[in-house]
Amino acid sequence: MNSTRFSDANLNSHTIYNKKRVKQFNLPHKCFERNVACAWRRGNKFSIFPGSQTTNKTIENSDNKILDIRQEISLFTPILRKLVNEANGAFLSLQRASDMSKNSDNQVEYLKLSRQYRSIVRVCLENLQEATEKVSDGLERNSLQSFTTIFYSIECIWHLCEILYIDVIPGEIVLPYILEWVRFHFPCHEQTAASLLEACEKGSEDNPEYWNAVIGMVVQGRIDVARALLKLHSSSDSSEFKLLDNSMRAMPVYNVYGGISSGEFTISWKHWYAECRSKYTSGSLALQPQLELILRIMIGDYTAFETIRIKYTSWFDMLGGWILFTMPWAKRREMASAAAACAGLTPGEKTHLDIIIQALLEGDLHQVIHEMQQVSDNGWSATHLTDMLYHCGKLQILDKQIDVTAQIRDSLILEYGSLLMEHKSLWSAGLSYLAATPPEGLKRAELLLERIPIESEAKAMRILAEANKYGLPNVVQTVCGCMSTRRLKSGNSGAALTWGGRTRSTELCARAAEQALRRYCAGAPLPHAELLLTGSTVLLSKYCDFHNLYKNREFRKAAKLLVSLITSKLSPDFFWETLLLDTLPLLETETPVLSADDTYEIMLCLELHSCALTGKKADMLRFALARNLERTALLNLPDED
Amino acid sequence: MSINIEGTFVSQKINKIRWIPEEYVETKHFFTGSWDDDENSVKVWTFESVHDDENVENPRELSEYKVAGDVTEIKLTDKNKIAVSLSNGEVRLLEISAYERNSPLREIYTWSKLHHINSERCSCTALDTFEGDIVTVGEDEKVNILNGRRGDVTRSISDTDSCSIHSVCFLKLNEVITGNLRGHMKIWDIKRDSNKPVASFHFPGEEVAATCIVQHPTQPHIILAGSECGSLAVWDLRMNKFPTSQLSAHSSGVTEMQFHPENPNKLITCSLYGDVWDWNMESLTKKSGDSYVPLDDKATMNVTSLIPTLHKAVNSIHCSKGRVLCAADNEAIYLIKNLKY
Repeated sequence: MNSTRFSDANLNSHTIYNKKRVKQFNLPHKCFERNVACAWRRGNKFSIFPGSQTTNKTIENSDNKILDIRQEISLFTPILRKLVNEANGAFLSLQRASDMSKNSDNQVEYLKLSRQYRSIVRVCLENLQEATEKVSDGLERNSLQSFTTIFYSIECIWHLCEILYIDVIPGEIVLPYILEWVRFHFPCHEQTAASLLEACEKGSEDNPEYWNAVIGMVVQGRIDVARALLKLHSSSDSSEFKLLDNSMRAMPVYNVYGGISSGEFTISWKHWYAECRSKYTSGSLALQPQLELILRIMIGDYTAFETIRIKYTSWFDMLGGWILFTMPWAKRREMASAAAACAGLTPGEKTHLDIIIQALLEGDLHQVIHEMQQVSDNGWSATHLTDMLYHCGKLQILDKQIDVTAQIRDSLILEYGSLLMEHKSLWSAGLSYLAATPPEGLKRAELLLERIPIESEAKAMRILAEANKYGLPNVVQTVCGCMSTRRLKSGNSGAALTWGGRTRSTELCARAAEQALRRYCAGAPLPHAELLLTGSTVLLSKYCDFHNLYKNREFRKAAKLLVSLITSKLSPDFFWETLLLDTLPLLETETPVLSADDTYEIMLCLELHSCALTGKKADMLRFALARNLERTALLNLPDED
Repeated sequence: MSINIEGTFVSQKINKIRWIPEEYVETKHFFTGSWDDDENSVKVWTFESVHDDENVENPRELSEYKVAGDVTEIKLTDKNKIAVSLSNGEVRLLEISAYERNSPLREIYTWSKLHHINSERCSCTALDTFEGDIVTVGEDEKVNILNGRRGDVTRSISDTDSCSIHSVCFLKLNEVITGNLRGHMKIWDIKRDSNKPVASFHFPGEEVAATCIVQHPTQPHIILAGSECGSLAVWDLRMNKFPTSQLSAHSSGVTEMQFHPENPNKLITCSLYGDVWDWNMESLTKKSGDSYVPLDDKATMNVTSLIPTLHKAVNSIHCSKGRVLCAADNEAIYLIKNLKY
């Protein structure tokens, strides 16, 4: 049966905005037309095969095929593996930090780690851009570009999340942070403004982008830059320009450490606002529509914002300006109305990013997580962000009045961890995620670890070390059992015994010992004696001791040991012959070493196991026994020790 | 200057990392060998300064040599040649061009199916080199001596032990020491035609695998071995059998040890736990042969940690003057600079 492997790019559409939940594939082979069967394999993989097979053809031209279908995991591409590993380190540091600060507040540490996550995303973006420039293949470039889009969105979301939920903001006054966020992620017109200022020529309004740049700077809250740009206008000395410039200069800026209370600030701000408003209603700027537009923006006129909305790709560009000109004293928790106002500027369908940002501003983290899960990054961002928020104590999700926060966090981590466990190399990273969510995680880890293919002892030992680290004795048992059986199969009873001994498993050791004895009967050498120092295989171990004593010519001790082995009746049937024949040389020694009593015992065993030893050998032994009895019947052998 | 660490993620778990020696300039090129991945390879890298800033160096890949199976060991046989052992039982001798470091590695010899149980391939777990000779050990309990000049197998000691061998080290031209899964250390005379070890002794205490062995560079009778559970044992070969000291060192398996090439009193070790330690071995090696020093207390040994503990195993280290390379299971390599030696 042929086995083909195919992965469809559509399986994991790289767009962040995928709406469809169900995908349809056409199976490429005719043989699947009837009776298709399906079976799960390890991880996110399953096989499709024909349920009824045509058996009368030869293998080569058979129609029967097995299709292996797996999800294409974008995180497993080499460039994103860096992100996976680095994030794993940050994740573990976060778990450690939260363990250490069970009781105390540790916001600073969390903020540091949140920034670390962001810098990881940033590095990843840089790598992606670098790779995009180098790559020549169109398809690959596309996928790299879609990764870039995805991670830009993630960076943007994470940053806003950090401002609203993780950062320590004095007085909770969020405006400067939001402005910074807008400037960082949506740097519109910045370059035009910079080049205009650099050129520093009167009459810059000839540049078609001039007014866009000025308004852009106002909306971003860079009032100083906007003023400087206005100075470059050829008629900047006119009264209208001066009028606007005065208003812009006089605009009160709130600073927590500025020495005035927020109440005082509000009063002065309202005063300024009323002034601007009267300037507008008096129509003193009516001759300069652009200046009037700026003034309308500054008094927070919704229609003005609507007018400029089309110039921007998203409503996020406007968010900072809107807050700046309508509610500069807004606290973190008061962003919902601003979000609704700005989002309302955009008619039509909302993208995932729109929904996420708005939900963040509204404080609806449940919605945020829900939407993050739709991002095609295999759960990377949803998992890490949720975990971050969970540790910061900012996550509280209720489902029918029951707090399910921990469950949500755990289930995301479990999913992500299990995903990584599939990968040949990333399994150890995956394991550390699973271990962070006991007890369920460890149960899963146990099942997944047991299924990791073991190609070498080095890998086996690594899995054992991990299993021991997380306290998974069942995995240790399975892996050792597997290795022991494998060695046993290839006829190496010594190694089998070693692996059996590692888990202190009596069954494994017994099996290996039995094979060692059988092989000895067949002529193979015994395993090294030191192998059995701690083995639970009494018979084999004692028998080896006997050999050593015999080799060292300590016949008296050897004889005693052998008789005790015979009388203890530990021996399996196949080994009686060997044991009994081993007495022969001891019966024939110059000075007797086996006493009359011993001889009787051996005789008894010989007769009891007459099927083990027959014919000439039995007769020979009987003869030797009789002779020994003859010379020891009246002799009392002294005990040596 | 204080110790400075730079990490780079390389998207492969690196099992072995080795500097390429330079004669007159600071080392800057190195080899890595990956493991436990769908596709493994031996790579050559160089460090490059970024934006003319001398202090920031980033590794850049120069060439890749794909191999089937995990790379289990890389050792230099001379300045530009490495012996690479693989988990599919093969050993390869590769050469890098002395002038054009970015040209692909050239294969000089391949010893395929060197290690196998019955007809099935099994892992070649370790190797060591000595003036062009290579000794390899494997899970099949075999010790092979290869001649790196002629490319043949000069001697093969088979069925020597009752379980797989995990570490090996040349003591002198005709003697090698091996350590196995049960912690038994055996010394073999490779010139003698016998399958019996010259001497054997074992790790004290529980049965643990001996994962790595090194010989003291100036006092060749002193042998150190690291175990699977993180302990370190020191033997004085003039008085076999019992280790002169045993240290409970790392909290899990010792993965590699190296005496600093410039300072024989300095030992660098790394472990599965994710730490890299710098030991001052002076007290251990200077004492007279017959005094047993119980060294459970590693504080007396002057141990310092070189990097903050990583969350994943550190598989390999290699130092050259003040620069130490580390390779870890978090698919990253680290360069520690300004190590005092």
